[in-house]
Amino acid sequence: MIKLVGAVLIIFASTLFGFYKASLYAARPRQIRQLVHALKRLATEIGYGSTPLPVALRKLSAQCQRPLDQMFATIADRLSGGRSETVRQVWQETIQRFWGQTAMKAPEQETLLELASTLGISDREDQLKHLELAITGLQHEEAVARDEQQKFEKLSRSLGMLGGALIVILIY
Amino acid sequence: MQTTLSTILPDRLSTILSRLDDTVATRLEELRIRESKPLEVNYDGRYAFVTPLGGLTMSPTESYQPSKEDCMKLLDIVTNHSLYSFEEELRRGYITVRGGHRIGIAGRVVLDRGHVKLLRDISGFNIRLAREVRGAADRVIRSLIDPASDTVHHTLVVSPPQCGKTTLIRDLARIISEGSWPGLTGQSVQERGLKVGIVDERSEIAASVAGVPTFDVGPRTDVLDACPKAEGMMMMIRSLSPQVLIVDEIGRKEDAEAIQEAMHAGIRVIATAHGQDIDDVKRRPGLAPLFEAGVFRRYVVLRGVGHQRSYHLYDRDGRSLQSMYGKAASVR
Repeated sequence: MIKLVGAVLIIFASTLFGFYKASLYAARPRQIRQLVHALKRLATEIGYGSTPLPVALRKLSAQCQRPLDQMFATIADRLSGGRSETVRQVWQETIQRFWGQTAMKAPEQETLLELASTLGISDREDQLKHLELAITGLQHEEAVARDEQQKFEKLSRSLGMLGGALIVILIY
Repeated sequence: MQTTLSTILPDRLSTILSRLDDTVATRLEELRIRESKPLEVNYDGRYAFVTPLGGLTMSPTESYQPSKEDCMKLLDIVTNHSLYSFEEELRRGYITVRGGHRIGIAGRVVLDRGHVKLLRDISGFNIRLAREVRGAADRVIRSLIDPASDTVHHTLVVSPPQCGKTTLIRDLARIISEGSWPGLTGQSVQERGLKVGIVDERSEIAASVAGVPTFDVGPRTDVLDACPKAEGMMMMIRSLSPQVLIVDEIGRKEDAEAIQEAMHAGIRVIATAHGQDIDDVKRRPGLAPLFEAGVFRRYVVLRGVGHQRSYHLYDRDGRSLQSMYGKAASVR
């Protein structure tokens, strides 16, 4: 009887894990798309409105979903509050801190972190070019992520359950 | 003053300057920051370098030398982390920050069809500290009043840089707007205040933050912040109906035209111009029409720095009216 309960628990847990994995595969392209939208919006704010970075980032945060909204809001807060911090510092630290909460992977983070060294410290044209570059990079990653989603989303769901079943068979 | 300064400086510079002796700190006029060059302070018409401990020295080797990082941080802070939103200011070579301090900038110029497009590789900063001196114009105002019409004469303030032009006209704006000048008629102060319009192209006179003046420029004063002078004067005339118009640092042909326009509209004008003396200003091509027409009734010439500052007043024909030296003139 206890064995049976244990087996059910194992299958249940591994199925859950499979679903969790699958949801990550589904979330990644969605979040990248959001990020691309956010950066496009930022480019508009910089290009047409000449909006100061803290204000522009706060606007972005209002339009994003979790956890991106918190990420942008934190950067905006630190930039408008703290006086001796540079954009580079704040941007890098905040992104690294929040990255764990997103479903995105290393290449996207790399692209975003590269922005840190240029954001806010050059003229408008230069800013737009760098944002453009980052957006292209992210769009490429989005395509990759969507491929992976198609390949692995269902697979990881079934693998989770089957893996659980395998473990049960082995130890039964 | 120190508090507003420390909010625009990176930590390290701010710490060093907070250790400055009080006698220097309160009289600070300029703070010069150049990458890998000694940190320099100008006070009382003198200069000195600053050591890492906040002492003064004349030896460049003992002084603190701001690093590239210091300069980058400073630029980042004064532009509110958004250099791109200061392109117009960079083209002109200065940024005005909270508190009315003007930061002159040196770097490499990028040209676009022969005109300055922007500055990049910025490595030199000159922070000119704005200081509000209430009463700076107390002694001068007497001679500028036109008792016949109970207003002020058209006045031109002439002075080399750093002699207190802006401080003087800021205080004039306050006095005229309050109506608090010593009068001959029996009117009470309240009835005499005039509508004052300030066109503050460099945000130095009123030091407006988000459109609201941070310096006291009087209760009946309108400020057009960051507005080009000639255009601003026309806007003032058309829509804000000032009785007295105050502008800083005129020099171009358009400025002279706008001033004449204002004068014909019955507005009294107080303007400032760079120059050692009246003749100096008369030679400036853009301003020549103003002198040909003899429009200014009073000239105030400022001289000297630190405690040697003095005022000299002249009438429209250049006859001396009054000179003031010493303590009353020790304004910034």
